[in-house]
This record gives sequence, structure tokens and C-alpha cells, in this order.
Amino acid sequence: MNSVGEGCTDLKREYDQCFNRWFAEKFLKGDRSGDPCTEMFKTYQVCVQKAIKDKDIPIDGVEFMGPNKEKPES
Amino acid sequence: MKIWSTEHIFSYPWETVIKAAMRKYPNPMNPSVVGVDVLDRNLDSQGRLHSHRLLSTEWGLPTIVRAILGTNRTLTYVKEHSIVDPEKKEMELCSTNITLTNLVSVDERLIYRPHPENPEVTVLTQEAIITVKGVSLSSYLEGLMALSMSANARKGWDAIEWIIQNSERENVPLCNLY
Repeated sequence: MNSVGEGCTDLKREYDQCFNRWFAEKFLKGDRSGDPCTEMFKTYQVCVQKAIKDKDIPIDGVEFMGPNKEKPES
Repeated sequence: MKIWSTEHIFSYPWETVIKAAMRKYPNPMNPSVVGVDVLDRNLDSQGRLHSHRLLSTEWGLPTIVRAILGTNRTLTYVKEHSIVDPEKKEMELCSTNITLTNLVSVDERLIYRPHPENPEVTVLTQEAIITVKGVSLSSYLEGLMALSMSANARKGWDAIEWIIQNSERENVPLCNLY
């Protein structure tokens, strides 16, 4: 699966692999020990946030807007 | 405004379905999802995992809807918030489009839970609210979109099944030697 930012795909895949492993082997089994993927995530994020800005994707922060809230016109 | 809802049963336990749902893309049934990124991820004070994701999809609107609305945009963006509660065994996903919002609004909610009578089986309840704005025939268009969503929901279920059946070892190492 590609990233929304073409240059971020490798970073995304690396992070996804780390996360999927942690999710299946630790999180779902009740292991609350730390997430080993945070550094990888930070690097990946820097790339994605830049791509979002470059492509002008209207993210508006990561606050989810439910169906009862007014969406900004775009 | 059109409200659409459905329920589907997977013959797999909740953990298996959730792991597949987290790795849903790419899959052969949803070729129109072309990009997925995680924007934020965190654990809340109740131990639930929140993920905020951005999806880019080539399927935004059925061609006829696009023609009527007069837009040629094919790439649409969707943002999704999911919450996984490992104690309660519940995964909830809420998504909404963040482009074409002046024309159409599609809000979708999915909840995966173990079947109340059979813990080896998982129930997915899925609902959507579709609103087409500012044009006549809006309820007709909403109806078309609901049909489209129905068809795509089916593909989504097939996608989860496919992921489960093709669970590759690459995401789970044989030995943890590090």
C-alpha cells in the first residue's frame, strides 16, 4: 500500500510492519509495555505532514467531526 | 439524506478479524483505495488504541453521480478515526470525506464485536449517512450512492476474509532475535 505522499511509502511500510507486529503480539494480548515504533513513526510523520501540506489536503487537525457537526466547505 | 445500515458476520474470532481490519489495504477487492497513512496514534487513559488515518481513494462517487454533479475529480480523501478496546473487544471506525464536502457528505461507522452468542464469530455493524447537497435529484443521487455503498460493503467484507486467509508471515516474524 502506498502512502498519500509518494516519497513516504518506504517509511510508511516500515512503520506499518512494526505497528502490525506490536498490535498482534503485544497490544491484543494485553501487554502494555511500550510501543517500539515511536521513533519510526516520527520520521514517517515528518514526511507525511509535508506531503499533506504540499498537496493541500484539508486535514484540519486530527479532530474527528461526527455527522452532526458542520463540515467546512471545500 | 440517506441512511444505510447493514450487519455482517465473519466466521472468525474477534482478534483475527481485527488484525485483518488493521491491515485491510491493499487487497484485490478494494483497488480504488490508493493511499493510506496514519496521522496519529495514541492510547487513552482506558487503554484503548486510537488511530487517525488519511485514505486517498479513486472511487469517490459513481461516474453518473460525478457527471450530474459536474465534477471530474477522481481522487478523494477520507479521514478515519478508529478505536480498539481490547478489554471490551470492540473496534469502532468512523470515517468521513474531507474533499468534495460542498457536494456530498458520506459518514460511515463500523463496529466489530464478538457475536453475543458465539465468541468464535464476529459481528460487523456498518452504517452510513449520505447527503448530496445543492442539486435537485439529490435523493435520487443519494439512493444511487447507497447502492454503491452496499456493493462496496460486500467487497469490504470479502477483503477482510481475503486478508485473514492470506495472512502472510512477513508481519509476524518467526523468531524474535533482537
